Amino acid sequence: MKGIKNKLTAVAVLTFIVFFGAASAAGALFPDEGEDTVIPEITWDNISDGTLGRRLTEGIAERFAFRETWVSAGSRIDSGISGNIVGGVYISPERLIAADVAQRPDTADCAAAVNEFAENYDGIVYFAAVPTSAGVYGDMLPSPLDRVTEKQQTDRLYEQLSSDIRRVDAYNLMKMLSDDRIYLRSDSKWTMYGAYCLYRTVIQKLGFQPVSFDKYTVRHVTDEYRGDLYSRTLYMKNEPDILDIYEYQDGASVTACTGFGNDGSEHECSLYDISAVGSEDMYRLYLGERLPLMKISTDVNNDRRLLLIGSECAAGFVPFLTQHYSEIAVILPEYADRPLDSYIDPDDYEQTLFLFGIDAVKKENLNLTETR
Amino acid sequence: MEYSSLLFIYVFFPVSLGIFYVTPKKLRESVLLLLSAVFCGLFGLRYLALLAVYILLNYALALAAGHLRSRKKAAAYFPFAAGVTFDIFALFAFRTEHFSWLYSALGLHRGFFAVGISLFTLSALGYLVDVYDGRIKAEKNIVRYSLFIMMFPRLLMGPVLRYDAFTRIMDKRRTGSQELGTGLTLFIKGLAKKVLAADTLYALYSAVHTVDKGSLSAVSAWLGAVSYILCLYFSLSGVADMGAGIASCFGFRFPQSFSYPMFSTRIRFFAAKWHTQVIHWFRSYITKPFASHIKSQLIRKLIFIGAWTIAGFWYGFSAGGAVFGALMGTAIVVENRLRKSKMLKATGIIYTLIIVTVLSVFLAEGSLAGSMRYLFAMIGGNRLLTDSMTLYLLRSYLVVLLISMYASTDLFRNMLVRSRRRVLRRIFSAVTPAVMLVLLALCTALISADGSSAVQLLRL
Repeated sequence: MKGIKNKLTAVAVLTFIVFFGAASAAGALFPDEGEDTVIPEITWDNISDGTLGRRLTEGIAERFAFRETWVSAGSRIDSGISGNIVGGVYISPERLIAADVAQRPDTADCAAAVNEFAENYDGIVYFAAVPTSAGVYGDMLPSPLDRVTEKQQTDRLYEQLSSDIRRVDAYNLMKMLSDDRIYLRSDSKWTMYGAYCLYRTVIQKLGFQPVSFDKYTVRHVTDEYRGDLYSRTLYMKNEPDILDIYEYQDGASVTACTGFGNDGSEHECSLYDISAVGSEDMYRLYLGERLPLMKISTDVNNDRRLLLIGSECAAGFVPFLTQHYSEIAVILPEYADRPLDSYIDPDDYEQTLFLFGIDAVKKENLNLTETR
Repeated sequence: MEYSSLLFIYVFFPVSLGIFYVTPKKLRESVLLLLSAVFCGLFGLRYLALLAVYILLNYALALAAGHLRSRKKAAAYFPFAAGVTFDIFALFAFRTEHFSWLYSALGLHRGFFAVGISLFTLSALGYLVDVYDGRIKAEKNIVRYSLFIMMFPRLLMGPVLRYDAFTRIMDKRRTGSQELGTGLTLFIKGLAKKVLAADTLYALYSAVHTVDKGSLSAVSAWLGAVSYILCLYFSLSGVADMGAGIASCFGFRFPQSFSYPMFSTRIRFFAAKWHTQVIHWFRSYITKPFASHIKSQLIRKLIFIGAWTIAGFWYGFSAGGAVFGALMGTAIVVENRLRKSKMLKATGIIYTLIIVTVLSVFLAEGSLAGSMRYLFAMIGGNRLLTDSMTLYLLRSYLVVLLISMYASTDLFRNMLVRSRRRVLRRIFSAVTPAVMLVLLALCTALISADGSSAVQLLRL
């Protein structure tokens, strides 16, 4: 009996290993059209320092046969046996929440960079630190994980900013509205409605009356969005998110939208890029391809110009601003490779709004004066 | 490349097994060495080069020591001493942070780790001592000696063997479907220990360790310590089982390193079952040679405790590791003195578990001060028995903890062995292939996101 058991085990396990091994190797060696190969380039440095081994490990994982099914199953098992935390993301029945709070960076360098910008700038600087879904729904996290809150981080940043900079209390506002659909369930970013809620406050600080909500037509573009937190867990049980676009039919319209690449190339762009729906990064529905600089002109006749320096969350915010300014320049430092003034002269704009997700308040994202 | 990685399980392992089996028997050791070189090469060519130098130097020095000794020349001491010095220097150089100049000189980055150095250094030192003592003859076959040091199923977790035991195993190589079945079963068992148990327990351990020790409740601290020692057990024994399983697939039957040490009824039983060959090495090469000529019981016991201190230091290369070893040695000595106490008999498993858990804090913490603060929390020094975190941890991990505790014992094995009912054994035999497949699939699912199970409590 023992002999048969061993033989059967050998046959079954080896068949399993060989089948998945061969399928994965085939996937790695012969990727589908449009997919990159996962076989790393073999160089002396790669081989000598062990990078080749690490890259091969990652590559096989990336192209492992039926990967999505495996990872999704792994998430379910993981969440079942280890306190609902998978890949640093807490899985609750309502939403996914980033739980890797220990990685939040120090804010002093970021504040110093903004202070330096404000000191050399002729206009008025506004700063809004937008909480992530983990900040707003942090109380859903088990207590041992809710250590350094985004509130504390925002307060510290605001204390470090110079007194000339006008602060927007985005944290308390979003926290107050947490029962509404202001954040995506599978992503750390906000919904268009969340952006609209903050817009109402910010635009008053900037000296305008907000456009009331009922003037917008809200269109659901997709109900199949799964965001960055989903990508870290591949947890399928929660419903996917809906991505909306807000259109103000009788309002101001965009007359020109031009993006500028790091190489100086010009790209036509738009507030909403419907072609992003169905792509790997659907959040690019808002503002389309990410470029370091975008200039948006509108038919608003007030000659008001705004410089918006922001992170990913700013993309969903821009459509609301177009109702108030004749020109908006959007700088996304994360995608820039040289100092801010090599793209634009900030003094051409009388107001500058820093709109950063608190998770994006990092030295490298706010380094406005150095080449990267 | 870890054993518990997709690259190893689904690419390297089946390919190397295939190559090994199609190779004529005469050449199999050479092929195994080549495969081991590829395995080591995936950690970096610099590592492979260092390993080659290490092997050649030890091989040459042992050969010289053996040659001179056979002619009864006192000069045999010099190559022996040079070999021992070199090996100990290499161990300290690559396991402590005091040799950055060497890293710069060799062009190694700061994160470089010579995988398996703690284990193969013990093997190399033991071999040198045995050759110098005349217990064995120096090996002339460089292929076999190289396999002794860097054979890939042994590289990550041993077992640390005496050279004559290793050669006996190599000579008794037996391949076939029986060995494959046994090996694969053992491999998957080890994989499950590592991925299902150790990685989950690590999540519990790290959840406790994110909390400031000054505000840690007593029950949480105990949960953290118990999860650490269980995690350490499953992690080390898992990798050891995987290695032994792989070796078995290649026809080599290596002894198992861990024999269900948790929940032993005595501390000395725990010590005897924990990393058996490593503990045996320290007894054979440190305790015995020093203590055998000494009549004073007190000094013999001090030597015993000293050997344990070195063993503890070997694990962590830290003061905490040394304290762990010293206290473990002392606990065994004290236990032997109280062997006949009725109290010990009645509370065997409990006191052993408590002492082992408490001592493991010294291994877990980075500093002695940290260990003392943690122990302070464990005895309720923070005036906090439980808190909301304790309840969360218990709610999330209690079932996992209980299953892990059961799995760390030999209760299931004993039930099968002692059972007189053939039906039970037959059922177990019939379902084993399916159980192995399920376990392999579960582990694959859990490591599929990152490609490997990278949690490592100790790097040996």
